[in-house]
Formats: sequence, structure tokens, C-alpha cells
Amino acid sequence: MFKRYWIGSVIRHPIINDLKTLKMKSINLIKGCLVRAAGLGLLLGLSISAGAQTTDSTVTEEAEQPAPIKKIKPAKNTFASIWIIDNQTVMVPNKKTFEMDIMHRFGTAGNGYKDFYGFFASSNIRLGFNYVPIENLLVGISLTKSFMTFEGFAKYALMKQTKGKYPVSISYYVDAAWDTRPGDNYVHNSDEWMYFHQVMIARKITEKLSVQVAPSLTHVNYVNGYFKPTTTPSGKDTNVVAGERKHEHFAIAFMGRYKITQGMSVIVNYDQPITKHASGNPKPNISLGLEVGTSAHAFQFFIGNYYHISPQRNNYYNQNNYKEGFPWQSGNQFLIGFNITRLWSY
Amino acid sequence: MILPLVFVGGASFTLLTQKEPWPVPDKYNKMTNPVKGDAEALATGKEVWTKHCQSCHGKAGKGDGSKAAQLKTLPDDLSKADVQKQPDGAFFYKTSEGRDDMPSFKKKIPDQEDIWAVVNYMRTFKK
Repeated sequence: MFKRYWIGSVIRHPIINDLKTLKMKSINLIKGCLVRAAGLGLLLGLSISAGAQTTDSTVTEEAEQPAPIKKIKPAKNTFASIWIIDNQTVMVPNKKTFEMDIMHRFGTAGNGYKDFYGFFASSNIRLGFNYVPIENLLVGISLTKSFMTFEGFAKYALMKQTKGKYPVSISYYVDAAWDTRPGDNYVHNSDEWMYFHQVMIARKITEKLSVQVAPSLTHVNYVNGYFKPTTTPSGKDTNVVAGERKHEHFAIAFMGRYKITQGMSVIVNYDQPITKHASGNPKPNISLGLEVGTSAHAFQFFIGNYYHISPQRNNYYNQNNYKEGFPWQSGNQFLIGFNITRLWSY
Repeated sequence: MILPLVFVGGASFTLLTQKEPWPVPDKYNKMTNPVKGDAEALATGKEVWTKHCQSCHGKAGKGDGSKAAQLKTLPDDLSKADVQKQPDGAFFYKTSEGRDDMPSFKKKIPDQEDIWAVVNYMRTFKK
């Protein structure tokens, strides 16, 4: 035991690199010790002392120093989460990360104290589950209270901002939403489906400031119809059935994050509808909030106009208008909401 | 009668609070930090520290983070000389692998350079 501990401890000495030299020195050292040792107690004491060293991780001198490496890698943490309020960001978590999202939107704050600024009004909730099975690909499902919307979605990181190579990060997001409310709400099953495509282009401008622009296309299988007065080629006045809205709707989102501390950021978002419909044009959305990111969570707390959470329904159907007043004014159509994300690494 | 109870109670308390040594494989002890501790690396290290470490270890590494009181084993004060005398490789190993209350970060921080960067940042706690 004595020999093993001594050799073990000397092996750890970083100055001695050559194993043979080390063994010889150790053996000589042991011999010297045996001659000089006064008794078993001293030997035992040395053994204990040496044994303690085997669990000591201290090495004060280092081996040869290689040249420090400096590889150019993609920009990290452009955003703290896959969300900024109601829109996806370019971010895809690390491979084999499982994520659970809880998203909540209260009612509009315009009624003031009557429903305590929307806190006691009818709310909307989304539960989402995402997983990253391979590098850069996120897949997930969710269920949202509004229209009992079941969604399946995927996001792929096409390009990552890299100094001298790519000036921006680009991701593509696709989402299919299914209105699963029980009852005969539609004639055909296919009428229950809406689709959403979005390309996200983001740049981390500084360590504190990141921005993103994200054009999107919503496709809706079912639109309401109306009788449109028209004149036939023979000159007869008649009505034909026409869609109140188009099946395709284009929009664009702008968003940004500014870090006010290492863990807290201000987040902003603006959604502008582009396609013009015959009636019921959706309203733009302005939202502003705070985000706190930790090792496994992101918390976002904000005000905005979007209620439906499901992106296609927000972009196509939003009727909350920011022009109806500031959030503190009576009749305004802002609502309070929060997002919580939880990550698990496998 | 009371005296043995006090003794037993005291011994139990000692056992509960005593920290087990945390041996580090030689391979890690001999590792050198490949990331230069410049301003950029320290900024990365600070970001990683704030996100992943600060809640338990505290802002200045003193083991006084907001979650520290819930842990079975209080984190070491990283500013102390006997902690700081450990080689960079030991810090890297303990951060990567974890033990008991200290989680493994090799999956949460998949880029090893980020772990080395946070090791550099931990050196700034030295008194």
C-alpha cells in the first residue's frame, strides 16, 4: 500500500514526464524513506498523507501550452428562446433537446377594472412540446384553447450567421393547424385546416442587440362567402358567390431583442398584414415585453394585440386594433400575455 | 444520557455537511485551456455563467446564488485560494461532468470552448 500510494502521488507530479525516470526516482525515494523512517507510525502517516493526495485535483504547474485556438463559429444566442412573443425566432435548440412551452393570453385590457384589465376575462392557452431529433431541425406539436387548435410544426435552421461567411441567420418554419372543435362547424373535414410558412432572417448586431425580419404566408382552406353583384356577358344583373377573403394571406413580422442585463432583455414585435381582402382585413399587431432567460427556462411577459397564439390564425383573423387606444386607455385592444419555455437535454 | 445524544447529533451534523473529495482524472488535470482569456472569451464566459451557473454559485462565485439554499451541498466559494489553485482542466471536468447537486453541463453547453470560456471567467473571481 505504501509503495502504491507513493508512486501514485509522484506520478501526478507534472514536472516529471518520463515514466521510467519516475519509477526509478520513486523506488530510490522509498528506499531512502525506509532507511530514514523511525517506525511504522511514520510509515502509516506517510501513507495517509500520500493517499490524500490521490484525491487532490491540484496541479500548480501545467504541461506544455499549445497555441490558443480561435475558430470562427456561428453567432451564439441570437435570441434566448425559440419565441419572441407570438413569432418564432431563428433559434433551434441543441440536438436532443426536449422543450415544453406554456403560453397564455389574457383578455383585452380595455374594460379596465370591470374584468381587472383582462386578467379575469376569457383567456387563451397553448401547450406545446418540441424536440430536436437532428442538428438544426425542430419538430413539435401543440394544442391551443382557441378553436381547440391542434398544430404540428417543424423548423429548420438553413444558415447561421458566421463572421466573414454569412451575415445573417435564416430558418424556415412550417405549421399545420387543425380546428378540432367537436360539432359540425364545417362541411368538409379539409375545411378545418390552415397552414403557415415563414422564413426568418435574423442578425445579432451586437452582443446586446438582435433583430429579425420574417415574411410569412398563411393558407386557409375555408373562407366565408357572400353574394357578389355582377353582370353576365349577356347584360343580365345577377349575384355570384365570392369569397370574403382570399385563401392566401401574406404578412411580414419585425422583431428585436435588446439585453438590458446579462439575463434580462426588452423584446419588441410588429406584424404587418400585406394581402388585402374584400372584407375583414386583419389588423397589425404591436407587442412589447420583457424576457428573462435562465439555464433551462425562458420567461416572457408582454402586452400586445394578438390573442390566438396559433400563427396562421393570428395573421389571418386578428381584429384587435392597436389604434383603439394606448394600453392604459379605456376601450384599448391590447392584452397581457406570457410565455414560459422549459428545456431538457437528453 | 444527554451528553451521548449531543455527541451523536454533532457527529451526524458533521457527516451531513462534510464534503467528499472530488477526484479529477489525470487526463483533465493535465489539460491546458485552449481558449485564450481575452475580453471576448471573458464576455462569452460571463454570458454562460449568468445563464447556467449564477443561480447556484452567485454572481461573484461565492456560492450564494438564489438557489444555493435549496442544495444538499453548498457550493464552494470559488474566490478562495484553495479552490483557485486547481488547474483549469479540473474546473473543466467538474463543469462538464457534474456530481450530485452540480448538474452535468456537457449537453447543455455542447461547445467545449464555451466551457473553457467560463473557466476563464471563474478565474476572475480570484481574490
